[in-house]
Amino acid sequence: MNELYIIIKKELTELLRDKKTIINSIVLPTLLVPILIFGMIKVTEMINKSEQEKSIEIGLVNAPEDFTAIVASDTLNKITTYEDSLDFKALVVDETAQTVVVFPKDWKTQMDSLRTANVQIHRNGTKDNVNGRVSKMLAIYAERLKAKRMGRLQISTEKLTPFREEYKEASEEKELIGKRIGGFIPYLFILTMWGGCLLAAIDLVTGEKERKTIETTLSLPISKFKVLLGKAIVASILGFVPALLNLVGLILGLKFIDGIPAMFKTAIDGMLNFQSITMIMLLLIPFAIFLAGFIIALVAGASSFKEAQSKAAPIIMVIIIPLVLAMMPGIEFTWATVFIPVLNIGLGVKEIMAGTIDMGLYSAMLISLIAFALGAIYFSYKKFSDENAILK
Amino acid sequence: MIKIDNLTKSFTSKTGKGFKKETVTVNAVDGVSFECKPGRIFSLLGPNGAGKTTTLRMIAGIINPSSGTAVVDGIDISEGNEEVKKRIGFLTGSTGLYERLNPDETLDFFGKLYKLPTAAYNERKEYLFEKLGVNEFRKKRVGQMSTGMKQKVSIARTLIHNPEVLIFDEPTSGLDVITADSIIDLIRESKDNNKTVIFSSHIMSEVDLLCDDLAIIDKGSIIYNDSFEHFKRDMKADNLTQEFINRVKEA
Repeated sequence: MNELYIIIKKELTELLRDKKTIINSIVLPTLLVPILIFGMIKVTEMINKSEQEKSIEIGLVNAPEDFTAIVASDTLNKITTYEDSLDFKALVVDETAQTVVVFPKDWKTQMDSLRTANVQIHRNGTKDNVNGRVSKMLAIYAERLKAKRMGRLQISTEKLTPFREEYKEASEEKELIGKRIGGFIPYLFILTMWGGCLLAAIDLVTGEKERKTIETTLSLPISKFKVLLGKAIVASILGFVPALLNLVGLILGLKFIDGIPAMFKTAIDGMLNFQSITMIMLLLIPFAIFLAGFIIALVAGASSFKEAQSKAAPIIMVIIIPLVLAMMPGIEFTWATVFIPVLNIGLGVKEIMAGTIDMGLYSAMLISLIAFALGAIYFSYKKFSDENAILK
Repeated sequence: MIKIDNLTKSFTSKTGKGFKKETVTVNAVDGVSFECKPGRIFSLLGPNGAGKTTTLRMIAGIINPSSGTAVVDGIDISEGNEEVKKRIGFLTGSTGLYERLNPDETLDFFGKLYKLPTAAYNERKEYLFEKLGVNEFRKKRVGQMSTGMKQKVSIARTLIHNPEVLIFDEPTSGLDVITADSIIDLIRESKDNNKTVIFSSHIMSEVDLLCDDLAIIDKGSIIYNDSFEHFKRDMKADNLTQEFINRVKEA
């Protein structure tokens, strides 16, 4: 045990004296989430403001006066009246008008005879702001016409409204938000953890080869297993700490950054309590060891940093795909998914955040992660003991 | 004391393209036997790729032999190479130092793993630092040191546990004459202290200066093994270097 401690202390000292490690494992993970939150809030605010203040060019053809009045009531709308015979598609494409609303020539007749008229809207489907604003004006106009017709036909609104929907929310706000954003949190944790483990594992194994110290290490009077275990523990610490700092960053970000909706802030505060944080961290410990062992096994045969990176980099897809799946609706945390690494963490964290985790499933996931961690350590030990690979 | 008997090391590699793979086995060391006695310096010479490093790595317990035996200070390496490692000081061109530690930290690390008593460790460290002139840069990180400084620290870490067996592979390579001389002096001192020393070098003047017994290895096999006195007596060439070249070519 003492020998293992000496190895861990030496490896940590060496790694923490490297600026790259400090930046990637401590500074970036702590600042990443607050910067992301702050950036997202500011960007959303900016976009909303600029969209609201943007004037749009609306072309009208045969428009009735009352609709023109609705359009003109917003001073940001610039109206151009066109003749019926123009190529409106071309006008929208070359952005002379951002949208053109074409009413039929016999609009009045059709309205008077209570018929359903066809109104053509020439638009560019990608311009959400323009399309949204035009749709809103058309909806207001349609409502007005409907009310007018009902008055003329002497039908009360009640008669044409058979029922009103009234939703009574059974789930708590915490559960709703937890399930929605819970998938995003492990995404952040696990990617940071992967980055930390990868950098440390490469430095501890391939780095030793590049610096010609691997033979020195192997000449130490301790077993290769202890050397490997020491390296795997250090790599997993360097993976776990950034994930923990991510969480610290998230809590600090939510506390100190203005502009986060109060409802959202309260819900997140409720989710990130001592119990949920402990449960998440307990999962991340074996997962960090699993990642460290797995990466060490992958890079054990590499003789340069570049080779090690090219061997390990494609594995990121194996991490990202289950995380994306965990964010998709319909994929639930069940006995069918509880033993699939990465996916189980993604789904499990979502349930923990929502406060709906099944403790039986949680225990099974924890045990499976410990088993995977032990398997990865054994696998990395086998690779680390391969003389052809390690002394290459 | 080191007794090597019929030591062999085979490496297997796969060659070929696509699905057609061939397994090739090469004997890097093939049935090597020799004996190094305490109080004598044994020189293992050979051209590059002859199997020298592989032999030394097996003796030091870094790699396992495919067959044969090696007994180091009374312990068979097959019985537990950690015990063997405790009795060996191993220094080769591939045993670099940890660049982000300073000499003090480096020796502390080794001292703790060799489980040296604190007082004895401190005394030994101070003695070696003084002898090798490490004191001036003992707080400087290894990564910021010159080749000579690094080699001095390497020698200190090799000798910190006062091992019974010492293996030096090219210990003076790339060093200035003054540094090389202090290292030669330490190797001599180890011999005087009745240690078993294996010394390998391409610098024949150093071999001439230190060697008591000599083995030449080529293509994984020992082609000469006798005392250095006999080697010099039987020399046909004018100098050691030429005699070594001739022996290898003849083999």
